[in-house]
Amino acid sequence: MTPTLLGRWQTRILLFQTVGLLVTLLFTEGVIGPGGGVFLWVLEYLFIFGLGWDVLYNYLQKFRWDRDWPGALQLAAGVWEAFFIVLVIGFFGLPGIFFLDLGWFLVHYSLVWLAIYIASQSLMRILFPRWRFRGGVWL
Amino acid sequence: MRSGTSQIRLSWQEPATGELREPLLTLPVALGRVLDQMPAQLQGQPVSRIVLDSGQLSRFHALLTLEQGNLTLTDQNSTNGTWINGVRQTRGILNSGDSFQIGPYRIGIVAAGARAAARTVRSSEESFIQLDEPNEPEQAPERATSNFPPACFRSQQVRVQDLYATGLPVEEIDYAGVGAGLGSFIWVDYLRNFGVSRQQIKVVGLELEPYAKYQRLCLNSQIPAHERLRSNSDSCPDNLWGWPSYALREAWHDFQKGSMASAWRYLWQVFAEPTLAETYTPRAGNVFASIDREAARIGWEQMYQYGRVQAIRKTNDGRYAIAYSRGRGDHAFLVTRYLHLATGYPVVKFLPDLQEYRERTNNFKSVVNAYEAHDHVYQQLERQGGTVVIRGRGIVASRIIQRLYEARRRNPNIALLHLMRSPKPQGNKFGTAQRTVENHFEFQPFNWPKACWGGELRVQLEQASPEQRRSLISDWGGTTTADRGDWKQIVQEGLNQGWYQINFGEVIRVEPDPQGRPTTYIREKGPKGEIKLDADFIIDATGLDGKVKSSPLLNDLVTHYNLPLNPLDRLAVTNHFEVAEMRNDRGRVYAAGAITFGGPYAAVDSFLGLQYSALWAVDSLAAARAPRLKSLKGWASYKQWLKWVRNQAP
Repeated sequence: MTPTLLGRWQTRILLFQTVGLLVTLLFTEGVIGPGGGVFLWVLEYLFIFGLGWDVLYNYLQKFRWDRDWPGALQLAAGVWEAFFIVLVIGFFGLPGIFFLDLGWFLVHYSLVWLAIYIASQSLMRILFPRWRFRGGVWL
Repeated sequence: MRSGTSQIRLSWQEPATGELREPLLTLPVALGRVLDQMPAQLQGQPVSRIVLDSGQLSRFHALLTLEQGNLTLTDQNSTNGTWINGVRQTRGILNSGDSFQIGPYRIGIVAAGARAAARTVRSSEESFIQLDEPNEPEQAPERATSNFPPACFRSQQVRVQDLYATGLPVEEIDYAGVGAGLGSFIWVDYLRNFGVSRQQIKVVGLELEPYAKYQRLCLNSQIPAHERLRSNSDSCPDNLWGWPSYALREAWHDFQKGSMASAWRYLWQVFAEPTLAETYTPRAGNVFASIDREAARIGWEQMYQYGRVQAIRKTNDGRYAIAYSRGRGDHAFLVTRYLHLATGYPVVKFLPDLQEYRERTNNFKSVVNAYEAHDHVYQQLERQGGTVVIRGRGIVASRIIQRLYEARRRNPNIALLHLMRSPKPQGNKFGTAQRTVENHFEFQPFNWPKACWGGELRVQLEQASPEQRRSLISDWGGTTTADRGDWKQIVQEGLNQGWYQINFGEVIRVEPDPQGRPTTYIREKGPKGEIKLDADFIIDATGLDGKVKSSPLLNDLVTHYNLPLNPLDRLAVTNHFEVAEMRNDRGRVYAAGAITFGGPYAAVDSFLGLQYSALWAVDSLAAARAPRLKSLKGWASYKQWLKWVRNQAP
């Protein structure tokens, strides 16, 4: 992956609100786990914070000669984003989230991350043949 | 340096093109990025000002002067510094054979004074050899004969009636490709997947397999089918989506055969490359096999036409006439609305001193180019042992070293002398990033930083002015090799055991010794002066040349229509790879590959770069409502992909 900032944002918007949402619906409807709207709140907070993290990732990417962002770094970023949101919820709390079961959060988060990663590696390329040449811009 | 000499000859390879520059200059010499920022006069003497294209240079970077008879280099408080013989210095004395580095430029002092003036140097622009060509039905390669192309080709626009009047076969078509190599194939693959039918397309070239020339260059440069190309996993000439990638396919294949370890390794490589794992690259044989499958799927054979294109002209009805010969004096015309030029590299660069040696001695066996067939070198070495001089330090040199390492297993009496023009103390810098260097080899997974294909660097180059592009290309390009563990290990082992040595210096001349073996005389840095390298073979691994004027066809087109060239002397194309000056009413001409290098895109000669240029060109045709061409996206793209999976015609 060699994303641009615009590409990161556009891809994040699309994949969180489609693939991420579909996976989350399994959790809110109780197909997996206890159910409840909290999973949707979590997804949208991850999404909003992520738009900010993308600016940081884009900055860090400039220190890499190839200006790329391999899967391994996407995973590291994913671990960091999960850690961050758990800290924020634990210490400060976030509107809409009254209680978060850490175990189910991790299951939900991991599935969302995996689904988005796989979709970005396969489905995005097939539906948007120009996406990979435009640093993740699909619009 | 003797006192009183006021002239020096500098020597460097242009980082953007690899071309050799050896100007003879009168001291003082100023080097920098901006002409106006360098002094025109110093102490009443006119200054030779050399403008070098790179963002890593300061506007006035360094000054060469004669001080008390010594050639002195002074850094002008530059941002990125000056390295003299591999050590960062602000001021130093230089002798013949010394070298210094500023930005991506590694500049050698060839000679000074009388010697410099007397030395005749063949310019690297005139030093090349033709690529091997397939056997043709015709006796000799046929250039334009007296009556073909016909006289009507002298005008700016050819009347289609005049073509029919010649009595020669004329075929009219919507889309025509010239070249029939990988560039043409990928363009046609896009056309077919975008809805164009087989009957609307014709491609003229010399070989049926689109990868024939590429494969020959691979085999000559010692990449057989089982070896890996320097290409990305998702650069798939057979699949415009890049999915499934070659790594996934190879992993699946190995998984089915029960080789779990290698299957996981490929998946891990594409996940973690290049930071935590060595970059995955596909096997040459797998790539060619996948192209065979796609060629059959899109009906390549039915669209292919054997022929050597002699000339291309605009017609008076908004199309283009292609005059080509089918061998044995059999000529024909193709008239098309849309034309795609992808003729590839016309020639192989050959180091001028080696070219001169071959011409003088008529010995084509002991001094060879890595891109020529030269298996006899390894056969003789494996039989008798011997010494090889390697010139150049790119990916081809690495592969040749690997091949010689394999030969050493059969015969340990093989020694390698790697001749490099100058040390490489540090890699190119761009912004906050720097390329890594080890043992004077500079590493990069592919021939450009990865973001040149589809990331930030692609955007930056596309938006840059032609002059800025030249500077960016200097900073990102240059000679690099892949960071492969096995290659680094071979080099380290060879250095430790002594059978592989690196020599620095400028070649003065290459001459045959009494046994007819090529001896290289080089000027080494420091006071040692001239030294001799005796060898059985010299292998030039310096690269290919894509200059337009090396191709008779393109040269004719450029001359006839007064087409502009870009700052690197290749065809100037728009961001959609159109040759804008060839626009003829509704007719359009596009170009791809090496002949467009120096334009909006850096990696034009790669698989993925050819896909990029094809996609941008075909998109612009779709916007112009070219017949039966529908933009491919979303659901339509998915349906076409399913056809690819099922191996059905698009």
